[in-house]
Amino acid sequence: MSKLDSVFEAKSPRQLELREQFSTPDHQRETAMVGMWIFLITEVLLFGALFTAFTVYRLSDPQAFDLGSKDMEIVLGSVNTAVLICSSFTMALSVYFAETGNQKMLMLFLIVTMFIGAVFLAIKFTEYHAHYLDHKVPAFWFEESSPHAAQIEMFFVFYFVMTGLHALHMMIGLGVLTVLLFRTAIGSITTEYHTPIEVGGLYWHFIDIVWIYLYAIFYIPGLHLK
Amino acid sequence: MIEEAVDRPPTKTYLNAEVGIWSWLLTTDHKRIGILYTISITFFFFLGGFFALLMRLELVQPRNWLVSAETYNKLFSMHGIIMVWFFLIPSIPNTLGNFVLPMAVGAKDLAFPKLNLASWYVFMLGAAVTIYAIFRGGVDTGWTFYTPFSTASSTTYVTAAAMGIFINGFSSIMTGINFIATVHRMRAPGLTWYKLPIFVWSHYATSMIFVLATPVLAVTLLMVAVERIFKVGIFDPALGGDPVLFQHLFWFYSHPAVYIMVLPAMAVVSEIVPTFSRKPLFGYKAVCWASIGLATLGFLVWGHHMFVAGMSVYSAMTFSLFSYFVAIPSAIKVFNWTATMHRGAVSWDTPMLYAIGFIGLFTIGGMTGLFLAAIGLDVHVTDTYFVIAHFHYIMVGGTVMAFLGGVHYWWPKISGKLYPEALAKLSALTVFLGFNLTFFPQFVLGYLGMPRRYAAYPEEFQFLNILSTAGASILGVGYILPLVYLLWSWKYGRDAGPNPWKSTGLEWQTSSPPPKHNFEKTPVVTTTVPYPYEEMKEELGLVQTR
Amino acid sequence: MKEPVVSIRTYTLTWLALLALALATTLIGLLDLGPFSMGIAILIATAKAALVVAFFMHGRYESKLVRVIIAAGVIWFLIMISNTLGDYITRGWLPFPGK
Repeated sequence: MSKLDSVFEAKSPRQLELREQFSTPDHQRETAMVGMWIFLITEVLLFGALFTAFTVYRLSDPQAFDLGSKDMEIVLGSVNTAVLICSSFTMALSVYFAETGNQKMLMLFLIVTMFIGAVFLAIKFTEYHAHYLDHKVPAFWFEESSPHAAQIEMFFVFYFVMTGLHALHMMIGLGVLTVLLFRTAIGSITTEYHTPIEVGGLYWHFIDIVWIYLYAIFYIPGLHLK
Repeated sequence: MIEEAVDRPPTKTYLNAEVGIWSWLLTTDHKRIGILYTISITFFFFLGGFFALLMRLELVQPRNWLVSAETYNKLFSMHGIIMVWFFLIPSIPNTLGNFVLPMAVGAKDLAFPKLNLASWYVFMLGAAVTIYAIFRGGVDTGWTFYTPFSTASSTTYVTAAAMGIFINGFSSIMTGINFIATVHRMRAPGLTWYKLPIFVWSHYATSMIFVLATPVLAVTLLMVAVERIFKVGIFDPALGGDPVLFQHLFWFYSHPAVYIMVLPAMAVVSEIVPTFSRKPLFGYKAVCWASIGLATLGFLVWGHHMFVAGMSVYSAMTFSLFSYFVAIPSAIKVFNWTATMHRGAVSWDTPMLYAIGFIGLFTIGGMTGLFLAAIGLDVHVTDTYFVIAHFHYIMVGGTVMAFLGGVHYWWPKISGKLYPEALAKLSALTVFLGFNLTFFPQFVLGYLGMPRRYAAYPEEFQFLNILSTAGASILGVGYILPLVYLLWSWKYGRDAGPNPWKSTGLEWQTSSPPPKHNFEKTPVVTTTVPYPYEEMKEELGLVQTR
Repeated sequence: MKEPVVSIRTYTLTWLALLALALATTLIGLLDLGPFSMGIAILIATAKAALVVAFFMHGRYESKLVRVIIAAGVIWFLIMISNTLGDYITRGWLPFPGK
């Protein structure tokens, strides 16, 4: 068979459970988890740089940033926070069912998690649309009459960049979950080998954590001004 | 136990385990991936060098004569971008690190071989995007992309270049993840942390920086691109933005980045010096923790690139203080290398010549860094040729020499052949002389006040500039020679045998070239110390001469 | 069948705690706490993040290495933000223009 065939042929669960560079399946699993956690801290630094920049600017004009925060869609944002928390719950349950070898429940909860994730994105884009109608989208349609206009625009630039980057990560997360669903469906996931579910779960939970902080810095500060 | 007789080269090696172009392009063998990277970074080294050549030719005359000022801006920008991101950062980790690290820990491969291959493709994708930017017309912001010029004024291909670097950054992150996981989880039985060669410790420290610093660069360049594409002002003062914030975020990565460039070089030197002194590395534990210290302290000093940018005095003082502290781990290493040589049975093979060259030139470069760490002095010499000489002494006199030393040192392992020693020594000497002639005059030029990034300069600086250009041409010859004779030796060189240097590293206890899975059987480490020259004296065939 | 790392009960309690903290964040946000409102919001967010890491991500049950990795991420983020803010906060402390 040609070189390309051997790369793309589906691997049996036995092969996936113990790749040749590892000594035991546990060794492989723990190494995969270490690798994933290191990847997650790169994401901490990635979003962290944006949080740093945001904080610097907020410190220079906290009132303007509070005013910008006042214009956030607090209901949609709060609902979205609850939505993501629920999706983290269902993802954690997916891992539970992967560990206990319940393929049907695993697939069910992966699908539920994906559905909730899609709901999050739908709400997010509704919010973006609302901001557009409000003329609060920098570069596309931004109007602000208060004396802090420049700083409020900066607030919205960060809002769109940071929540946009987050939404991009959510979409990638949906892609990851789709792959996990497929692999579960074809029978690659067992109690002995369910590392992909755990690793995918870690990514999903991390995205939830990012949103938890985004909610705190964008939606809360101006809430008392409404 | 060494299986094959010394004179007979092995028949089944990683080089002929599979054949055909796809067996290379789809390989997951860390050794083959190391070679893929070597080919790529060699190309970029000469491309970046080509831009440097044009710059040095231009600087022979005080007035613009070869290129316009705008073109000159593009030349130094592209020279910097290519050399930093497409040569220096991947140079040792992705070539020698990829090849040697798994063997040094006694493993069959890295923890994530497919991720390793992916990292090379990501690197090449980033390179393609950057080359696109270069060929469409280049970028003129300097490798530092300072705002607001890069975001608001520059009319060159800033976004494309920034995106090429952004993509390349993921290659670094993947490598870092792989190395850290490998060192923690893939060591052979008996190989505890304090028996690991410094090569491994230093690459571990480098990987810490890969994963912690690179994401910040990625998102900073992303913001530059967003600002350019959407015309929003993240770093624009009119919108309440701060250009200095860009510098904070940029240098948060770019200062640790220079430790990415120097730690692997120190890793190589830490292997060469004990081997050619026939002695264990002096002060091993101090060197281990100096590597980690360098990686950690390196994150606390970035403001020393910004002393004149408008930061607060207290902040500047803090960064200056830590910049002095960060010299300490480097000094520890230099003292330990020289102490290793003391009373050793030193032999002057080519790798050792490069290593000693590294020690001297890195020391000079490092000491001039202390000048720059002093705020008062920095105000005088910042943005002059003094800074350029400082970092070239470390990056070229240091890293490139260590890279060449490492390539020569591990060449027998990689190719199974020995290079021609006399020619190699001549080449090393050429590099050393050419290097000093190129860059020492630049310290003087900087002190006298010649600014960096200027194509035209006052007449009185011409003589030193001509010296520098003359040195550059000699240096170029010194770089081309190894390319020629190393490739020649691959086909016509003498067979090397498993351990031509009689070194204690695990990679030398397998055949040259190694088999696909590195070792016939997983090694079990029974020696009790790192660099066990005493314990392995008979096995290595070392004769006590003193 | 391997023993699952965390029970459904623990997951459920964590989920409910997270929802409660989210509600708390919103309600506290309605009060005007002046300069502390952002700080308190971040504090509660950190509590939520800690719960997610500890229980949903099995942070409490993972090896020492993983916990060191998590700590490193947090510490390095703090290095970045504190040294950067350190510049901005200390500007104007000396009576010289531009310092």
